[in-house]
Amino acid sequence: MLVSEIDVISPLDLDECLTILSREGIQHRLLAGGTDAVVRMKDGKWRPNVWINVKGLNELRYIVKKDGAIHIGPLTTHSDIIRSQLLQTQADVLVEAAREVGATQMQNMGTIGGNIGTASPAGDTIPALFVLGAVLEIRSCNNKRLVPIEEFFIGPGKTVLRQNEMITNIIIQPQEKNEIGIFQKLGPRKAQSISIVNVAVNLIMGENNRQCLGGKIAFGAVAPTIIRAKKCESMLKIAPITDDMIENISKVAWKEVMPITDVRASASYRRDMASALLHRGLYRLMRRWESYES
Amino acid sequence: MKAEAKNEKGNGGNTPFTWVGKRVRRIDGPEKVTGELKYMTDYQYEDMVWGKVLRAKYPHARIKEIHVEKAKSLPGVIAVLTHKDIPGFNGFGIVVPDQPVLCSDVVRCTGDAVALVAAETSEIAEQALGLVDVEYELLEVVSDPEKAMGKTSPQLHPDGNIHSHVKIKNGNVEDAFQEADLIIENTFYSPRQMHAFIETEGGWGKMDEEGFITIKCPGQYAYRDRMQIARALAYNPERIRVISSPIGGAFGGKDEITVQIYLALLAMHTNGRPVKIHYSREESVVAGMKRHPFKVQMKTAVKKDGTLLANRVRAVGDTGAYASLGGAVIALAIEHSCGPYKIPNVDLEGFCVYTNNGIAGAFRGFGVNQVCMAIETHMDMIAEKLGIDPVEIRKKNVYHQGEVSSMGHVVKSSVGTHKTLEVAENCDLWKNREKYKAEASEPWKKRGVSLATSFHGIGMGIGLPDYGAASIELLPEGKFKVAVGCEEIGGGNSTVYAQVAAEMLKCDISNIVVVQGDTSQTLDGGTVTASRSTYTGGRAVATAAPNMVSLLTETAAEMTGVVMEKIEWLPNRIVAAGETISYKRLFDYLYEHRRKTKVEGHFMLPKEKEEIKGSGGAPHHLYGYLTHVVMVEVDTLTGETDVLRVVSIPDAGKVINPQGLEGQTEGGAVMGIGYTLFEDVLIEGGYHKTRNFTDYIIPTIRETPIIETFPVEEAEESGPFGAKGIGEVVMIPIIAAIMSAIYDATGARIKHLPATPERIYNAIKQLKEQEAQPAR
Repeated sequence: MLVSEIDVISPLDLDECLTILSREGIQHRLLAGGTDAVVRMKDGKWRPNVWINVKGLNELRYIVKKDGAIHIGPLTTHSDIIRSQLLQTQADVLVEAAREVGATQMQNMGTIGGNIGTASPAGDTIPALFVLGAVLEIRSCNNKRLVPIEEFFIGPGKTVLRQNEMITNIIIQPQEKNEIGIFQKLGPRKAQSISIVNVAVNLIMGENNRQCLGGKIAFGAVAPTIIRAKKCESMLKIAPITDDMIENISKVAWKEVMPITDVRASASYRRDMASALLHRGLYRLMRRWESYES
Repeated sequence: MKAEAKNEKGNGGNTPFTWVGKRVRRIDGPEKVTGELKYMTDYQYEDMVWGKVLRAKYPHARIKEIHVEKAKSLPGVIAVLTHKDIPGFNGFGIVVPDQPVLCSDVVRCTGDAVALVAAETSEIAEQALGLVDVEYELLEVVSDPEKAMGKTSPQLHPDGNIHSHVKIKNGNVEDAFQEADLIIENTFYSPRQMHAFIETEGGWGKMDEEGFITIKCPGQYAYRDRMQIARALAYNPERIRVISSPIGGAFGGKDEITVQIYLALLAMHTNGRPVKIHYSREESVVAGMKRHPFKVQMKTAVKKDGTLLANRVRAVGDTGAYASLGGAVIALAIEHSCGPYKIPNVDLEGFCVYTNNGIAGAFRGFGVNQVCMAIETHMDMIAEKLGIDPVEIRKKNVYHQGEVSSMGHVVKSSVGTHKTLEVAENCDLWKNREKYKAEASEPWKKRGVSLATSFHGIGMGIGLPDYGAASIELLPEGKFKVAVGCEEIGGGNSTVYAQVAAEMLKCDISNIVVVQGDTSQTLDGGTVTASRSTYTGGRAVATAAPNMVSLLTETAAEMTGVVMEKIEWLPNRIVAAGETISYKRLFDYLYEHRRKTKVEGHFMLPKEKEEIKGSGGAPHHLYGYLTHVVMVEVDTLTGETDVLRVVSIPDAGKVINPQGLEGQTEGGAVMGIGYTLFEDVLIEGGYHKTRNFTDYIIPTIRETPIIETFPVEEAEESGPFGAKGIGEVVMIPIIAAIMSAIYDATGARIKHLPATPERIYNAIKQLKEQEAQPAR
């Protein structure tokens, strides 16, 4: 397929979009911010017959609190997330992750739905959504289903999304006052880089000094999909998260990950970096927690 | 004539300058900053056609047959060309033209060009490339330079895989190694750096009805490009015009032919329609020049008091499939391999070796980067072992003007190393380094402060023509058009030329119009390379200016009947016995009398009389010097390194424009940071693993530290107003300084660049394991 032969359809609303998606016999792909799609088209990897350009569907661009949950429209850009007061106070880890995506230009264009749909094992917002317990609302012309984010990905670039479906809502649990999160990324440089390893952490803190009541930890770029670090998570509650305890927890991280070697890093380095980032993240998180308390 | 206050070198005693040495704003600044100036590759024409290049499918293969019929019959295709369509010599290369324009029998790297296509659209041209059917027979790939030098390796060129071998020997290193109190020996590896200019290779070709060919293609030497085009086309060079400026960056990567010959060939087949070629970043990565990766083995001997006794160096540079300037790069590396020091016994040799790993050529620093990291690391290792201060050991061993260098020649030109070291040891960062090092922000972060010094030859060295030429023309509106061959590649030489002209003509800088990089408008003044364009071009302008002063003084005398001695050459005007005569009036008079309004200035670069035997062009007559002080912070958990502060102390001779110099020192520092910490084009088995900027990591503003510049101005008598060149050494010592600062911070020595987080982390990990061992 030549680029000049590809059609672009820009539906005016969600219903029209879902109708187009349901058409049989045409090979189509959704185009949101285009920060991944255009690059892959250029590389000859993604050459559908039709691009369904959803960037203009403003009804899917929102951040609202509803029935105790936060709803984020899939066409919300990373910049929208960074600027959202609501997310800054009740989903800090997602804001931090969005801030680490590419650079400002990509944050302005790229969308959270696109980041999820692309299903890169190194996608920066996904670990944050994991630790915030995100649930995805997926719709087709005549069906709507809810899929927890941990069940959405089946491999690099592969999801449970069917040809006639799209993500229409991302629902996360807002952080309570005693919850605190952090996102840590290791890339080959500070900005405009693809993660070698990243990690998102969300902790529920107790009354006592550095007491943790539980939490979630999710790693990116160290397995075919984002993964939860359940062994580390289970250690969070054992004892106060002192600097020594941080070292003990992070030492376990390498057991949770199954990284590969590629042009950016070796598997063994990635394994060690899972521990390093968790160490750095928990340390910084505890400092931040203490500064809030005092 | 009062105009003779300054001689042609511009050395006017203590005359205060109006323009020289001032922070004059760049004359090309506004149009570049606003985007008003277009890149040549951004132009479009209505009747244009698109050109594309078919690359070799394999890094090493024999071509059995090329079938172009299918491609030719694709609707929209205008021309498909192969080696059979080259009218002249099928080759190019600045020194040895061993690179085929279009391969005929063998391909030697995946950047090799096999066919050219011109078509109505870029997409059709791309499709046509896919329809050119090339039958190959695969040959064994040569990917390791050391193995390439062995007898069993396939030979890539008729004379074998060793393109050049240079040797310099002085004294007796064996005896010195016996005498020495300390010997340090190490092997260093350096990366294949990419120029990463913002504008990839590209340009325009057009042939008019009379057969006159115009090539608009950013380059670093329009006249030589024209010669190489003419040679391939078997065409009269007078009938080819090359416009090579402005450029979206070059850094040496557009010194060699890029697409000029392709453009000319295609232009001959497009019926007068302009043809455009513009590489994608991916194509530029594969086909463009790179910096030579080096392996440097160095053994250095020293006395207990820190006096350097001997240095043995063996350097192997991977030039890839073709020579380009590889031989000269290796020669310059060897000439600089002992640093700006006086070492009595040296045994140095360098090899430039062919492989199937892309193509390497000129790049800012030109081989010196790769050896500086070795000698400067050794200086620090020696200093540490002997308990001598790093500044002291350098001061003790540097050569001064009039002394004999490690090359064995007397350095007659100015030498600023000692002064730069004095400034370094008195700068805030160095004096207070212990305080700054203690300020690391987190427990696992370690800081280190280090310094290094280096030098870089100015001009071409012995054996190559090296001259500057400039013309100054009085224009109808009374402005002066200063035309210099050397292109404005972003370094700011246009402003330097304007400053020199304005200073010597005593006019306002707005009265100077600078034209560069156009064979129809400028004289041949050599390349914009080798840290030479301020020195050589500036001196040529300074040589032309007095001729303009004479012309106009004589004209004014003739016009007014006032004797020459009474003609006053004042700022922005000429006064003859009280009567002011404008430049415009002078033009009108000259024009009415059909006289020339243009003068020229020519300048031969001074050279050493005798070449060091076997050195390939050493020594240079002139060198620029520079010392860097840096502070880094290493995250020992991850190996990430942050360069926090840089102090750059150049000896560029007299600084013509401090703002321009800072542009160089800042840009050079950042490029040096990229080289040391991030950049490498990875090639495995002849195939590129690095495709584009996704994985080729260059520093961004977030990797850019605070950079301070403290020039020491060791005036060079032969230069314009005492200036030398500085465009390359600005990125060199910082490499070794960062390496040493990482050591200072962590105790880990990195000898294989780039010092990626993974390499640093592994080195720290190894160190910890070693430390843990005795405790077992």
